[in-house]
Amino acid sequence: MSDLTCPSRHRQLTLSPLQQRVWLLAGLLLIAIIANLCLGAVDLTLTQVWQGLSAEGEQYFTVHEYRLPRIALAIGVGAMLATAGVLVQGVIRNPLASPDILGVSQGAGLAAVSLMTLWPHASIQLLPWAALAGGFSAAVLLWLVCGSKAPPIRMALTGVALAALYSSTIDFLLLTRPLDINNALLWLTGSLWGRGWQQLYTLLPWLILLPAALWLSHRLNLMGLGDDSATCLGVRAPRVRLLALALAVGLTSAAVSLCGPISFLGLVSPHLARQLVGGRHQRLLPVAMLVGAVLLLIADLVARIIHPPIELPAGIMTALIGAPYFLWLLLKLR
Amino acid sequence: MIFSRFVSSPRPTALSLNTSCFTGLQRRLAAALALMALTLLGSLPAQALTVTDARGSFTIDHVPQRVVALENSFVDALAAVRVSPVGVADDNQPERLLPEVREATGPWQSVGTRSQPSLEMIAALKPDLIIADTSRHAGVYNELRKIAPTLMLQSRRETYADNLKSAAIIGEVVGKKAEMQARLQHHQALMASYARQLPQGKVVQFAVARENTLYLHTPDSYAGGVIQSLGLKVPSVSATDQQESRQISLEQMLAINPDYLVVGTYAGNSIVQQWQTEPLWQALTAVQNNHVYTVDGNAWVRSLGILAAEHMGADLVRIFTQP
Repeated sequence: MSDLTCPSRHRQLTLSPLQQRVWLLAGLLLIAIIANLCLGAVDLTLTQVWQGLSAEGEQYFTVHEYRLPRIALAIGVGAMLATAGVLVQGVIRNPLASPDILGVSQGAGLAAVSLMTLWPHASIQLLPWAALAGGFSAAVLLWLVCGSKAPPIRMALTGVALAALYSSTIDFLLLTRPLDINNALLWLTGSLWGRGWQQLYTLLPWLILLPAALWLSHRLNLMGLGDDSATCLGVRAPRVRLLALALAVGLTSAAVSLCGPISFLGLVSPHLARQLVGGRHQRLLPVAMLVGAVLLLIADLVARIIHPPIELPAGIMTALIGAPYFLWLLLKLR
Repeated sequence: MIFSRFVSSPRPTALSLNTSCFTGLQRRLAAALALMALTLLGSLPAQALTVTDARGSFTIDHVPQRVVALENSFVDALAAVRVSPVGVADDNQPERLLPEVREATGPWQSVGTRSQPSLEMIAALKPDLIIADTSRHAGVYNELRKIAPTLMLQSRRETYADNLKSAAIIGEVVGKKAEMQARLQHHQALMASYARQLPQGKVVQFAVARENTLYLHTPDSYAGGVIQSLGLKVPSVSATDQQESRQISLEQMLAINPDYLVVGTYAGNSIVQQWQTEPLWQALTAVQNNHVYTVDGNAWVRSLGILAAEHMGADLVRIFTQP
């Protein structure tokens, strides 16, 4: 008798399993942020963290100048790389696609390594701009070679071939100039070390691409049905493909120029997000951003606490998480 | 305030010069107070000191008590004037630094790797001077500057002469200019005495052997500079470009054919062990005359500095004077 009187309220109080998972993920993000603020080479209590946020606090440098911008940058870069992964997978319609197949990370890497080995005395401030230019040039080259009307598979194969070309040029540069190899190899691993407020301000304008990707959600859903079905349903497939890939290129170039090519985020985050919320881009994109942010935060945390005061590059940790997951995925697909 | 009494003390009048007015105790007390005043004056903050570093000019207005050094050559310079750094970027392997350096400085807190030192660990040590390497840490200069005044010097791939200049700058910045100058003079005298014990003009080639590669150090390298300063000759590898360190093969070694070959090794296998089985190895002059010697790679390559150069000189004297 009693539940006849308030059935609707009862329905609103319980969350669907999907919503539960998203809230859990958001909780995990919060925990990761707090853990990153407290733990490191120097462990701080929550009160010390709170005091460290003000300029007179004892831990001001560690909390405000070192960890806080690094956390914000990790969230931004993780979200950007994950979104780029979702966009590329949506366009290429292949679950094993990642932004790397566009050759953008390798192009950015080539530009950065060229700057470091051929002009070792150039200012370090030029490095992110060189990497950005390299990433965009690689994308333009892909577009010129492929044409904008190419089918996705052709674009993927051309991208992989160009990426291999850039990687081998990087190897050539490193082999012929072994003395400058240190800085170059460190940059190529991808790391959040030494990145502060300045890098965060450089990243901020690029965050506008994230809502732009969300705006494409409905059209990306339709693209998943195939080019012909999508065209019948009112989507201009080549234009959407170009737009989605342009967004992916912008997001990846910006992320790589600031932190170096961090591996596996663009591949693993869309997969994990799909496991959690399914394939509709209106849900997939935000959740993938959350997953990317959480993964990079956890990777950076582990890199900093595994053997203090040694700080490993975060790119190594994402590879340690990503590679086994990738293998498990391949085994599952068989 | 206390010394103003003595700075502006009244001129001695006929009355005050009458020493019988002052008892022995009062005179001793006056002397003690004068001494205290002088020491206080001496420890007042000195005028701002300006030196030229790799970024241009560097100014510091106090004598640093807590120094963090981010490269081995800086620790060597600090050890030369017996200053103890509170933190060193030692890759978590303090045994890589020379024993004489470690003994002079005492223990320190590691701040991580040289290429990516932990900035929060450096901040936790509350330093008042950081010495960093331009080739590795230029990107984080702004962050380091927020922790403490940062002196940027060249360390990686520095030549012997430049390294002595950097040591002089470090000595001046830590407030031990006179001690550093004296130490440098002692160093010159020691190296000159080593040079007298070595046969002049002999061709000595220093190379670093790893498991699969052999890297020659050319006349432009640090080791090459030290060898040359001792009156020996280092063969030049290429007419066109002299990178300080160059990988070579056995045939190229034969083309250079030095009189003496000094091989720096690290723990583990070295390629020289492989080469010793090759017939070409026996064609080398150094091998035929039994002039191939092994030294510690850590001391000859990774350590740059006054103590390191003296260690290298002692090694060479040992090599040339042994029967």
